Amino acid sequence: MIAYQPIVLDPDKPLGNYIVVYDARTRDQRVRERKKTGGGAVTSFVIYLIEKNIVDAVVVARRKKGLVGEIVVARSAEEILSTVGNRWSVVPYTLKLREILSSSNIRRVVFVGLPCQAQFLKQMKMFPLMESDFSSKIYLIISLFCMGTYAIEGFIDYMKRTYSIKAEDIVDIHVAGDKLVVKHSSGVLEIPISETLYYLQHGCLTCPDYTGVFSDLSAGMSSKPGYTLLIVRNKLVDKLLHEAETHGYLELEEASTESIEYVINKSREKMRKAYEYLSHIL
Amino acid sequence: MSKPGLLLLDLGGCEGCSLSIIRVLPQLSRIVEVYSRYTGNLDLKQKYDYAVLTGPICLNSGDHIEMLKKIREQTNTLLAYGSCASVGGIILYARGGQEPRPEHRVYAPLSRIVKIDYAVPGCPPAPQMLITLLNHIKQGRGFFLDLFKAVASIHKLSGFDLMDEVVLPGLCVGCGACVLSCPTQALHVIDNHPDLIPEKCIRCGTCTVRCPRFSQILIRRYLRTSIQQNIMGGSR
Ligand code: SF4
Ligand code: SF4
Ligand code: SF4
Repeated sequence: MIAYQPIVLDPDKPLGNYIVVYDARTRDQRVRERKKTGGGAVTSFVIYLIEKNIVDAVVVARRKKGLVGEIVVARSAEEILSTVGNRWSVVPYTLKLREILSSSNIRRVVFVGLPCQAQFLKQMKMFPLMESDFSSKIYLIISLFCMGTYAIEGFIDYMKRTYSIKAEDIVDIHVAGDKLVVKHSSGVLEIPISETLYYLQHGCLTCPDYTGVFSDLSAGMSSKPGYTLLIVRNKLVDKLLHEAETHGYLELEEASTESIEYVINKSREKMRKAYEYLSHIL
Repeated sequence: MSKPGLLLLDLGGCEGCSLSIIRVLPQLSRIVEVYSRYTGNLDLKQKYDYAVLTGPICLNSGDHIEMLKKIREQTNTLLAYGSCASVGGIILYARGGQEPRPEHRVYAPLSRIVKIDYAVPGCPPAPQMLITLLNHIKQGRGFFLDLFKAVASIHKLSGFDLMDEVVLPGLCVGCGACVLSCPTQALHVIDNHPDLIPEKCIRCGTCTVRCPRFSQILIRRYLRTSIQQNIMGGSR
């Protein structure tokens, strides 16, 4: 069982509570072929959990078409591999998800989501307000670093108006420095992130959580190129990660001070902006 | 060391909360000394470390109001447990005939009468909730405790507030937490954001404390201790 830990959103503890931070990358050829950026460590880790029958399902978002996403309940490595890629919108959890998870052959589930989703999943697990919650099935909560997500309609409209790029032509979007790199069917476009800030979701501007302090494991791009930074928040996750390493799914190295400083700064920055914004609207 | 004393008392309502608590009585008795009707040792005269009150208070019932005030005086940490006690819940719609009788019809969450320390929505909260909560209160700190502390200072919280405070002002990020949490399916997703079907909302408050945006607003607005002002940006 995961022990009780007070969860704090505190500028003095910008990464929340954790036990160790790693720089990690995949050693799995299947993941290497598919991944776009980062180290692919999360994908490898959840594939390990599925292939060794440690969990029955992985709930994760996948891009469907253009920027629209869907939640999938993946039960095999192939299904997990189909979700690899960057995500630019929040994909809402739905009643259908609850229905799927209520099936009796799903007993242990890993959730891969955004910090905001990690928050309520953790609440569901620790403080079950309803019996119909699938609390007892939540085995691990993995949260991906998040600077904010786009209000899809506005962003798509902007891409079309300004750059004549249609949503269905977008192949991939990722961040490089202060640029947003949009790969589309007829080329690559780089736009300054500052230019797209208007199209962030309004609610994301008040969100103080960059890494996902409510999760069991936070993961995102490391400042070390080609690596995923993993913030491990409890012993169970640490043990599982080392097992995955022993089985050749991924490799771990303790993160350098620079890697940690980098994510601390990003977290502080997000928190500062969120509280500033919140004080304007409340 | 002797175990802390805990008073369990139902003030009315549907008994759903009581049933939920009865199911964890054995576990509960391991961490506290329970005093209640169910354990045959109800005693409203002594002092308690904790009191867990379920059901709403009828504003026309003098006896109950006096009893509630007395319990407050005698208790260290007072918990309004379940939707009726914490935020009003479905009993706000009651038009008489319920306990406490006779034809009383003005029901309110307990925070209307006395200071509550932690208020927990849920219609009813799942049994395990009470155990986790007490364990956390013993340890002292954390985001979720702050949240339930914040809820203790408001008198209503429902899907209507979720719409007014989060969805309509455009703060909703479309995570789906509220939809997953609603026991009556009063919330459904339209264009990635929730919409409320008013007739279905039983005002249980669950969606509001599950919403990452609303919980942040609640803590910021109602928790005015100095630490929180720091954390939530009051002085930074
Ligand atoms: S910025 Fe916060 S609220 Fe917005 S998607 Fe990311 S985690 Fe969710
Ligand atoms: S919308 Fe649903 S969860 Fe929210 S208060 Fe109404 S009934 Fe409860
Ligand atoms: S929980 Fe809050 S932020 Fe999430 S979908 Fe519901 S209203 Fe929007």
